[in-house]
Amino acid sequence: MQKLIYIVGVLALITLFGCSDDSRETISDASDTVQRVAEVVSEEVSANNSSVAEEATESVENSGAEAVEEVAAADMENSGTEAVKEVAAADKGSKAELKPEQIGVVETLPEQYPAEWILIQDAAFFHMLDGRLLVVDASSDDSARRYKGMFNSSIIGQFAQSTTRPELYSVDTYLSRGTRGERTDVFTIYDKRTLAPVGEVVLPAKRSSNMPTIYNLQLVDDEKLALVYNFTPAASVSIVDLDSRTFLGEVPIPGCALAYPMAGRGFSTVCGDGTIQTVNIGANSDDIVSNRTDAFFDYENDPLMEKAVQIGSMTYFPTFKGNIQPVDMSGDIAVPGEAWSMLGDGDEGWLPGGLQSTGVDDAGRMYVLMHPEGAEGTHKNPGSEVWVYDVENQQRVDRIKLKLPAISMGITRGEDPLMVTTNINLVIDVYKVKSGEYLRTIADIGAETPFMLHGAR
Amino acid sequence: MKWLDKITETRARKVAQSTSRRGFLGKLATVVVGTTAAVPLLPVARAEQSGGQQPAEEGDPNSCDYWRFCAIDGFLCGCCGGSINTCPPGTEMSPITWIGTCENPVDGRNYIISYNDCCGKTSCGNCLCQRNEGDRPMYRPQLSNDLNWCLGTQSVAYNCSTAVVIGTALDE
Repeated sequence: MQKLIYIVGVLALITLFGCSDDSRETISDASDTVQRVAEVVSEEVSANNSSVAEEATESVENSGAEAVEEVAAADMENSGTEAVKEVAAADKGSKAELKPEQIGVVETLPEQYPAEWILIQDAAFFHMLDGRLLVVDASSDDSARRYKGMFNSSIIGQFAQSTTRPELYSVDTYLSRGTRGERTDVFTIYDKRTLAPVGEVVLPAKRSSNMPTIYNLQLVDDEKLALVYNFTPAASVSIVDLDSRTFLGEVPIPGCALAYPMAGRGFSTVCGDGTIQTVNIGANSDDIVSNRTDAFFDYENDPLMEKAVQIGSMTYFPTFKGNIQPVDMSGDIAVPGEAWSMLGDGDEGWLPGGLQSTGVDDAGRMYVLMHPEGAEGTHKNPGSEVWVYDVENQQRVDRIKLKLPAISMGITRGEDPLMVTTNINLVIDVYKVKSGEYLRTIADIGAETPFMLHGAR
Repeated sequence: MKWLDKITETRARKVAQSTSRRGFLGKLATVVVGTTAAVPLLPVARAEQSGGQQPAEEGDPNSCDYWRFCAIDGFLCGCCGGSINTCPPGTEMSPITWIGTCENPVDGRNYIISYNDCCGKTSCGNCLCQRNEGDRPMYRPQLSNDLNWCLGTQSVAYNCSTAVVIGTALDE
């Protein structure tokens, strides 16, 4: 039967390559042709089965063993070509014959991913043209079937997911000759069900290529706009209209970096002079109003980490020295609140650190990767524990010891979330948040540098 | 020195936005003082101005614990066909970059190290090294090793990073 499939495959290729036009209609016609060819071949095999199978059965009986025997047979007279047919004949009668299967079937995924699914962002740091985003079921111990699909992302793409449309977004960079040639930066819209691109918006070739963050690509205004951080090294933000799938314009943000969504139609950006700038985008994207806070944080000695979490309209930045800086982003200007310490008695030396060092769950708890013996230069060190905070009451409510220290983390949605980490071996560990219990490790999934982990929204 | 930081920073930002990309380097000025009259100011004491012999260095320049790599993040060019201050064949050195301030254990001086990326080929893949002393978030890009600094080059493809001494950091 394998050879039958082989024959059908060869005929399919002949049919396809015979086509001079590669339009969808032609491919569709070709598929129909392949299907018809398959049916014809199938009928011929069936017709020859009786005599061929008798030969095979005799052969099996002579050897006295249960086995599969091959029998070569038959010209395909109708086609005028010679071909080989094969029939599996051992133990005839007790095993059902395999039916010919349909060729060309491609799997699809549900529009709403289950709560335990995660999205793994592999920057492919050792071969950046081949970055990828993987969809994986973190609740599964079936190492084969938990892998659901993937798409590609080039030169450290950045990523976001919609909660209102069945869409995933990436922004990445392509060069016409792979590692050289004309540069194209593109915002690509993927269908969650097919993981296939369904639209794209070509952007000014300015997007920042940096270690991935949550805030390189963000959605605002009830997900009507997408924001892309640019760095050339002049800093700016490109604005994409998600309804019309068009590029609206670019807002300069000199001296600042990344885009933190405001509650309304705007974003804030953290600046190198210890301020935050807020950019309000009017109905017309040219109508930009920017406001800036006074300097409020010590950018030299206790800088805000970029790795903030957003809970409602509040944004919480960890700092290098273990404080949390709340910023109210509900209005038309960011309003910094009073910073408070993450550390209590006996916590001396512990500091936040990692690549994606924070997470948030649906109950509004903040998770932070923490490492002991912190000092200048340890702010990207792997965390051996995850500390969980009730940010409203400024209290640590849990402390999860990790099986292996981790550089990145993510939290799945729902009331009973999973925590996933990228451990120091660059494979994924899965924990149950409520109990802190380690559940499983997800390895060998083709993600060599899974820098970012996202719970499916 | 806060006033000097502010002036230098404001000036450097204008230069960076309006003129050359190299001007961006002029923004670094927290522990050093400008000594050249050129615009943009590169606020480091240049080695050639100090005269005399170059100080010695110790250690393996292709090992991640080598003193110059105190704020590097990437593949060491010395393991990729280049050296600590040269790019591998066929690549192009980025003219703009991030810097670190690293102490040379031999002479006890702090040096400004420019981690110019080599660009135009995909990741070298050898001798990956990350150290973060003095590294700062991307809103202070001149001190941030999270950025791909293959900017101002023909290609944004990142291959490896050098660690070039561009001067001594003077005490505040």
